[in-house]
Amino acid sequence: MPSPSQILIYYEWKMLIRNRFQLLMLAVTFLFGLYAIYYGQSEINAQRQTIQAVQNLEQEEFSSYQASFTEEMETLEQEQTHDIASRPAYAWYRHGYHAILPPHDYAALAIGQRDLFRYYYRLTGMSLHYQLFENELANPVNLMVGNFDLSFVLVYLFPLLIIAFCYGLFSSEKENGTLPLLMMQPVSLRRIILVRFLFYFGLITGLALLLSLIGLITSGNPLKAENLIPALAWLLGVLVYCAFWFGLLFLIISFCQSSALNAITAVGCWLLLLIVIPAVLNVIVTVKYPLSSATLAGLTRRTGLENEDDEEESREVIQEFLTHKPELAGSDSLMKNNLLPKAYAAFTSLKDINSQQQVDQYNAQVAQRNAWTSRFHWLSPAVNMQEVLAHIAETDVSTFLRFQAALASFHGEITDFYFTRLFWDKLILQEDYASLPVFEMPKSDDRWNMVWLGLGKIFLAAGGAFTFGFINMKGGARQ
Amino acid sequence: MITSPMNITILIARKEIKVAMREKLVVVLGCIILLLLGVALYAGYLAYQQQQTIITQIQAEKRQEWLKQGDKHPHIAAHYGTFVFKPKTMLSLFDFGLDAYTGTSKYLEAHHPHEFMFRPAQDHSSMIRFGELSAALVLRILVPLLIIFLAFAAFTRERESGPLKLLVAQGVSFATLTWGKILAYVTLLVTMLLPFLLGIVMLSLVNTHQDTIPDVVTRATLLAFVYGVYLFLFIAFSVWVSLRSSTGRNALLILLSGWIFLGVLMSKTVANLSENFYALPSMREFKAAIEQDKVSGLDGKTPRSVRMATLEKEYLEKYEVDSVQQLPFNFEGVSMQAGEEYGNAIYDYHQEKLRGIFHQQNRLGSLVSLLNPIIAVQHLSLALSGTDMHTFIHFEEQAEDYRRELVRKMNADMAENSQYGEFYGYKAGGDLWQQMEDFSYQTPTALQLLQYYRLEVVSLLLWTVLALVLIHYTHRKAKPLHA
Repeated sequence: MPSPSQILIYYEWKMLIRNRFQLLMLAVTFLFGLYAIYYGQSEINAQRQTIQAVQNLEQEEFSSYQASFTEEMETLEQEQTHDIASRPAYAWYRHGYHAILPPHDYAALAIGQRDLFRYYYRLTGMSLHYQLFENELANPVNLMVGNFDLSFVLVYLFPLLIIAFCYGLFSSEKENGTLPLLMMQPVSLRRIILVRFLFYFGLITGLALLLSLIGLITSGNPLKAENLIPALAWLLGVLVYCAFWFGLLFLIISFCQSSALNAITAVGCWLLLLIVIPAVLNVIVTVKYPLSSATLAGLTRRTGLENEDDEEESREVIQEFLTHKPELAGSDSLMKNNLLPKAYAAFTSLKDINSQQQVDQYNAQVAQRNAWTSRFHWLSPAVNMQEVLAHIAETDVSTFLRFQAALASFHGEITDFYFTRLFWDKLILQEDYASLPVFEMPKSDDRWNMVWLGLGKIFLAAGGAFTFGFINMKGGARQ
Repeated sequence: MITSPMNITILIARKEIKVAMREKLVVVLGCIILLLLGVALYAGYLAYQQQQTIITQIQAEKRQEWLKQGDKHPHIAAHYGTFVFKPKTMLSLFDFGLDAYTGTSKYLEAHHPHEFMFRPAQDHSSMIRFGELSAALVLRILVPLLIIFLAFAAFTRERESGPLKLLVAQGVSFATLTWGKILAYVTLLVTMLLPFLLGIVMLSLVNTHQDTIPDVVTRATLLAFVYGVYLFLFIAFSVWVSLRSSTGRNALLILLSGWIFLGVLMSKTVANLSENFYALPSMREFKAAIEQDKVSGLDGKTPRSVRMATLEKEYLEKYEVDSVQQLPFNFEGVSMQAGEEYGNAIYDYHQEKLRGIFHQQNRLGSLVSLLNPIIAVQHLSLALSGTDMHTFIHFEEQAEDYRRELVRKMNADMAENSQYGEFYGYKAGGDLWQQMEDFSYQTPTALQLLQYYRLEVVSLLLWTVLALVLIHYTHRKAKPLHA
C-alpha cells in the first residue's frame, strides 16, 4: 500500500506531464541554460585565444632576442635586435612581459567582471601608470546589458520558474473548488502542500543541478584538484539558492491568499531582490562615495626630460632617484655611460613613486565602496548568490584588484632586473634569459571565506522563510 | 436621463479609479514606485552634480597645465598633450544609460590616438552589473508592473462576478467600457507622475545655460512623449489581455510573463547573440594592426622610409632646392605633420572597422525593437538623454578632431619658427598654447540623433497602431458571457 506522500507525488507527476505549458517552460529554461553555457564558453574561449596570441607574441619577441646571441651578425636589423637584447639601455623599455590572469575553468559559467576588466597587460620597465589604465575594447551597450551566462540563468530565471510552478499550489485548490475535498482527507493540509512543494523542489532544483553539472563537466574536469571544491561549492550554491526561493514561495502561500495576489507578491519579491535593492544600493554608493577615476587621467601623460642635451638635468634626476634606490648607486661609471637612458629610467620611476599615493588613495576609495556594498549583501540573497558564483569562478572584482596589485610588484621585478644592469653598466647576458622575471598571481586567502559566508547567509534566509511559512501555515490551514 | 457615450466613458473611468484606490496593494505599490522615482531622480541629480563638478574642475586643471607648461619646443608640447573629459549631460540624471561603461577621459597626444580610459563601472563592486536605479528604469520596468496590477482584472473581475453582463445588457458598448478603463488608468498614472514630469522640466529649464545639450527642452518634451506613448501602450495591452482572458489568473500570468520576457530577458539575449555573430578584436590585436600599417604602409608595401623620401623629393622639387636645409621653413615640421596625417588615416581606417562591428552588433538590437517596444523605448530614452552610443561616438570624434588640430598647430609652428636639426634650440611659449582654444562639447540635437533611431520610432508607431486596431477589432467580437 503506497503511503499518502507517494500517492500525492504520483498524481502531481500526472498533473505535470499533462500540463503542456509547464512542460514548455521547463524545456525553454533548459534550452536557455544550454545556450548560456555555450555563450559563456565561447566568450571565455575567445579570451583564451587572445591570451594565447599575446603569449605567442611575447615568445617570438624573446626568442628573437635569445637567437641574436648566437647568430652571425649580417644585417643592420640583426645588430639592432642584438642591441635590444643585450644592452639594458634599450632593453629596459623595449622588453615587454605579459602579466596574464588566465580564466578559471568555471569562469565560462559566471563571466562576472571579466568582460569589464583587463585580464592581460604588456608591461615594460617604463612607468607603470602609463601602462595600467588602458581598457580592453568592448561594446558599451553589451557591457551595460551584461552577460547571458549560466549564473544569470540560475540567479534570474530559476526563481521565475519556481514562482510559476508554486504560486498557486494552495490557492488554485481553493479557486477550483477542490479544497474541501482535500480538507476531508486524513492527511493534514500542510503536509499535502509540503509534499507538493518537495516534489517541485526536486524537479526544479534537479533541473538546475543538471544544467550546472553539464556546465561544470563541459567547462573543465570537475575532478581536477583546482576544480573540485569550486564544482562542489557551485552545486551547493544552486541547492541553497533554490531552497531560498522555495522557502520564500512557501511563506507567501502560507498566507492563503488568492492566486493572483500570490503571483503578484512573488513577482514583486523577485523584482525587489533582483532589481530594486541592487539598483538602489548602487545609486546610493555612487552618491555617498563620489569618485571619478578621471582624476587619475593625468598619470597616463607621457612626459620626459626638459632638455635631453642638458647633462646636468640628467644627473639631478638620477641622483634623486638613487635616494629611493640606493642599492643602484656605486658604479664608477654611473654618471658617464648611458646617461640619458639612466636619466629616463630614473625619471619614469620617480614619476611612479610620486603618483603612487594618488593611485593608492583611489584604490582605497574603491575598496571603501566595495566594503560598503558588501555590508548590504544580506538584503538580497540574489546579489549574494551572484557574488558567490563570481567568487567561485574567480571573476569577481576583488580578483581583479588583486591582479592589479600583483602587476605593481611584477613591474617592480622587471625594473629591478633591468635597472641593476643599467645602473651598474652591465650587459644582459645570454644566461640571464634563464632568470627573467615571471609573473605570478598570488593566491587569495579569504576567497573561500566569502563563498561559505555567502552561502551561509542564503541558507539562513531560506531556513527563516521556510520556518516562518511553516508556523504561519498552521493558522491558515484551519480555515 | 439620456447620457452620451462620452459621459458613460467618464462614469466608468470614475468607477474604475474608485475601485483601484480601494485596493490596498495598488496604493502601496504606487507609493513605493513614487518613492523610488523620487530617490532615483534625487540621486541622479546628485550624481550628475558631483560628476560634473569633478569633471569641470579637472578639465580646468588640465587646461591650466597646458597654458602654464612653460616654454618648450612645440613638438614636445604636442607629446605631453592634454586631456579631454566626457561631460555629463543634464538629462543623464534621468537615464544614466551607457555613462558607466563608456570611458570618461581621453589622453590627447601626438602620434598616438588613444582610446577612452576609465569606465566608471570599474570603480564599483560587481553589484553594478545589476544596474543602477534611474528614473528611466522606474518608468520602464516598475511602472508597467503597477499597470499590470491595475489592469489585469479590468474585465475579468466583472466577468467573474457578474456585472459585466448587466452593463452590456444595459446597452453599454465594449468600446465605451474599454476606453473608460483605459481613461481611468491613464488618469491615475498622469496624476501620479505629473509632479515628477514638472520637476524634470523645471530642472532642465534652470540648468540650460551651462549644459552640453543644446536642446534640453525639446529633448525633455520628446522623452515625456515617448514614455507617455509607452505607458499608454502598456495600459492598452493590459486591458486588452484582460478583455480576452477568461480568468484574472490567466490574464495576470500572460501579462507577467510577457513583461519579464520583453523587459528583462530579451535585451540581454539579443546583446549576447550580437557578440557571437560579430566578434570584436582584442585591444592588443587592434593596436598591433595599426602598428603594422604604420611600419609597412596602408597598402602593405610603402614603408615609412619610402614615404618620407617621396615627401622630401616632392618638397625639393616644388621649391626647387637641393636640400631640405634650404627650404624657407623647417622641413621637420612638415614631415612630422605628414607622418601624423598618415597615422591618422591608418587610425581612421581601423577605427572605422571597429565602429562597423559595434554598429552591426547594435543594429541587431534596433531590429529586435520592432518586435519589442520596451527595447525601442530604451534606445530612444538613451538617445534623448544623451547617454547613448551615437552621442558617445560623436563626442569621441570631436575629441579626436581637437587632438588633430592641436598637433597640427604645434607642427605648423615648428615648421615656421624653428631651424632644421635644432630640436632644443627653439622654444615656443604661452602665446602658442593660448592659440589652442579650450575644448568644449555640445551634443548633436535630438533631431539629428533620431535619424539613427528610425527603426525604434517606427516600432513605437506600429505598436500604437496595433494596440488601437486590436482594441477596436476585439470590441465587435468579444462575448461577455462564458461561451
